[in-house]
Amino acid sequence: MNTLTQVKTTPPARPEPALLPPVDVLEDSTGITLYADLPGVPKDKLHLRVEGDQLAIEADLGLPVPEGLTAAHAEVSLARYRRTFTLSKELNADKVSAELSQGVLRVRIPKADHAQPRKINVQVA
Amino acid sequence: MKFDDLRQGIESLWGTMSEGWDRLRHTAAGALTRFRPGDKTDLPQREQIDDLLYMPGQHWAMLGGDVYEDEGRLVVRIEAPGLEKDDFDVQVQDGQLVIRGEKRFEHESAEGRWRVLQCAYGSFERRVALPVAVRGDEAQASYRNGVLKVTLPKAEPAKPRKVDVQVS
Repeated sequence: MNTLTQVKTTPPARPEPALLPPVDVLEDSTGITLYADLPGVPKDKLHLRVEGDQLAIEADLGLPVPEGLTAAHAEVSLARYRRTFTLSKELNADKVSAELSQGVLRVRIPKADHAQPRKINVQVA
Repeated sequence: MKFDDLRQGIESLWGTMSEGWDRLRHTAAGALTRFRPGDKTDLPQREQIDDLLYMPGQHWAMLGGDVYEDEGRLVVRIEAPGLEKDDFDVQVQDGQLVIRGEKRFEHESAEGRWRVLQCAYGSFERRVALPVAVRGDEAQASYRNGVLKVTLPKAEPAKPRKVDVQVS
């Protein structure tokens, strides 16, 4: 069963191309945990949005050219990360939590109450 | 897994790391880095991995880098998310900055299935050519937001040079 599908990023309103960060997605009985590599992103430049059933991760790299220095060799020239996911109805999009540490974003999306495994007590008459 | 996911999964792998693929290709030389998982890496068991595109032993990541300079120093920045500062081994060797590191898989995976596993784990080595000689023993490094920054004082700070070019 699949609860997270990646949406093909159609040409966005903003013409600027963006980097697609690699992700790891773990699914267990209580929800989904997603890890994304976003090096160079400070917390204030990270934007996590849930719109309907879409989870969007967007971040600006915070690696400005240090003052007074010139670039001898620059590979990190695309300044934005972007990736979008479609959340299945099993997931509770209102309870998304996230943390960012050393460039790794961890997003936790629990399954909706109705989809959580529920233990049923069986009474023995 | 639905067929849709497979198609999008292929697209999201090395074929297209960004929408601006052409732009990225020119700047990414040297950034594609091989990661080699070892005993300490702690990857999840193969049975827990559902990502159809996952290949054990094939771990690659883009560790983008920059080199900046002014008159007195070079500053090298390498993207390497998810490590601790003690996981790095940085050396200046033969005109290159050699950065070695180990990224362990430290996510909870006791229960659950890995639907997607794209990030790279294991030990890696990234070499950055240094355009000028530096004083390696005075180098300093810091690790913040997943970016390793190494500051290297130049061996001979550049003196402003005036070159007269004759125009005939």
